[in-house]
Amino acid sequence: MSLHELTVPQAMAGTIAMLLLLVQLALFRSVVIPEFIRLYAVQSWLVAAICLGAGITEHAWDLIVLAILTALFKGLLLPGYMRALVRGISMRIELPARVNVLLSLIIAGALIGVSILTAVQLPLLGGIFLANADLATTLSIVFTGFLLAILRPNAVAQVIAFLTLENGLFFGTITLAPGLPFIIGVLLLIDVLAAVVVFAILVRALVGSQAAASVSLFERLRG
Amino acid sequence: MSALSWVIVAIPLGLALAVLVVPSRAGRYATAIGSITCAACIGVLLVRIAGGEGRLDALSALFLAPVAIVYGSVGLYCLWYVRAEPIGANGEERYRREFLALTNAFACAEIVVPLLSNMAALWVALEVTTILAALLVRLQGSDAALEAAWKYLLVASCGLALGLIGVVVLYASGTGALGSHYAPLWSSFMAVSSKLDSNALRLAFIFALIGFGTKMGLAPMHTWLPDAHGAGPTPTSAMLSGVLLSDALYVILRFAAIANAALGTGMTQRSFFIVGLLSLFVGAFFLLRQRDIKRMLAYSSIEHMGIIACGLAFGAPLALAGALLHVVNHAAAKALAFYGAGRLAARYDTREIERIRGAATILPISGTLFAMAALALAGMPPFGPFRSELMILSGGFSGLAWPVAIVVVGLLLVAFAGITRWTIAMTAGAAPQGVQRGDRDPAAIAAMVAVFTVVLVIGLYVPTPLAVLIANAGAIVRGHP
Repeated sequence: MSLHELTVPQAMAGTIAMLLLLVQLALFRSVVIPEFIRLYAVQSWLVAAICLGAGITEHAWDLIVLAILTALFKGLLLPGYMRALVRGISMRIELPARVNVLLSLIIAGALIGVSILTAVQLPLLGGIFLANADLATTLSIVFTGFLLAILRPNAVAQVIAFLTLENGLFFGTITLAPGLPFIIGVLLLIDVLAAVVVFAILVRALVGSQAAASVSLFERLRG
Repeated sequence: MSALSWVIVAIPLGLALAVLVVPSRAGRYATAIGSITCAACIGVLLVRIAGGEGRLDALSALFLAPVAIVYGSVGLYCLWYVRAEPIGANGEERYRREFLALTNAFACAEIVVPLLSNMAALWVALEVTTILAALLVRLQGSDAALEAAWKYLLVASCGLALGLIGVVVLYASGTGALGSHYAPLWSSFMAVSSKLDSNALRLAFIFALIGFGTKMGLAPMHTWLPDAHGAGPTPTSAMLSGVLLSDALYVILRFAAIANAALGTGMTQRSFFIVGLLSLFVGAFFLLRQRDIKRMLAYSSIEHMGIIACGLAFGAPLALAGALLHVVNHAAAKALAFYGAGRLAARYDTREIERIRGAATILPISGTLFAMAALALAGMPPFGPFRSELMILSGGFSGLAWPVAIVVVGLLLVAFAGITRWTIAMTAGAAPQGVQRGDRDPAAIAAMVAVFTVVLVIGLYVPTPLAVLIANAGAIVRGHP
């Protein structure tokens, strides 16, 4: 399919997918917690937008409700809660990184390349943009989410990396399997709930230890 | 679901809520009675399904057996455990109530997994088990428990994220045959398996194997397992090791069944070989250098998951039946071993293997049963794991994969050396001064004897309903239900 054959909803979905990836890459150059949280909120608004778009084009009310819930819960409430939780733990301390920004972006770029190469192999049907592009975007966000969690040895950063990974999954589920709206709703609530529980427990415990949420404390157990 | 299935789910769910509002003493007894009732109901259900009644298929039914064994005995074991180990940062009574509520809720989630036929709902159920297990591991409040819970949640959730990609890819590949909006039931995919795209199926299976394999403790995604087992309460370790790992395997087998039906068994067998041998290698060699009794058992779990994966990889019907039987054997033997480890750790006030000596003298029944469990896990006759491992190896040597079977035998010998070395050190020899002797906790001993009976009986004779379920489940996994 060439570019001029794209419908307007497909082009918009493609644009949002691209923005999702750019926000994900921006997380690699982000150095402070508030910026991390802000970028996560922006990404959540973008997945809410894609969900809304899918709901409108598919005439699916459950997807529209899900989009509104996503925007409210993941775009507003959760980032607000995270800001409140981390307010006490050195908001301006620079987040540690295992490798420098340039190298981390190069690795992230390589992972996106692998994702695209994997996705183009599959003659999938059912994507709301282009099935292969949808899968490539999903895999890219999930893989770079893993990378982010590995490269940033900070509890808050790792939770946000997990939440961005979950955003990637949400994007993939909405775009590749729009027939699963109810399950997606349950999935959304449970996944985010899990992240919130971890986040609250962890940050409170680490605030108690005055360690600025560094996971370097977590190096006694070696698997 | 049938009425009996609803009862099986309702008992632990009701108990999880009830124990929050009654005193912990009453909660303990309610949990014991409820869990035994639940196990009995599962037993009745399994016999019915083996006889051709009921709506569940044999694969689902078979994976209910580990829950019946472990949950049924955990309730009894908790009568002693909750009284004997009042550790917790939030006060004893609150700790006990939370522990009992989470244990019952965890059991409920573990029961739900094999009962579901909708794979998206199944993914959600597995995610629920992750949250509940992490809360249980975290419950004791120590730094090590916090770290283990953190690691478990991150690793398992990331693994499940990959598993969900497998589900989504499978769903997307099915839209050509089933329409854009359909319920993702296993039976639907099996029915249209020949129309699914082969590349998409391969990708879905690989994602499922890596993703759910993380939850199953397969190497190299196993890193959460020794820490979570080591730091969590003993009954939690038994439920994690005996049931949760097999629940994750159940999901992988459903994916494997669809892939086998569409593509033949070659691809899934090769994949199982890789993760199976790697897990066996990691489990066997790490067993040699353990210093903590619970971490030793955790590495044994990794080793046994490797054995099961190798059994699935060999492809021969005998090896496949052995792998499925090993799921049940491992659940029983590992629960017994963890119960024994909990008793030893409480009596010696340590989990360090070096400091536990003369256990058979200090705790004559529990110590001896722990030694029996360890020997069963090492693959000694006449216990159940010996029978299933023999079936797996016989199947392996009967086919073209005999060189791999030789490697498996070698790794099993390494694991055998590791387990027996530590077990002999702990149970034999002179007991240290100052450790109280005597084994007067009837509830804990009853739980151990009950599970030991299962380990021994399956070693001597496989009951007919179980044999029928294994044969039928094997046909489903091969893609020919």
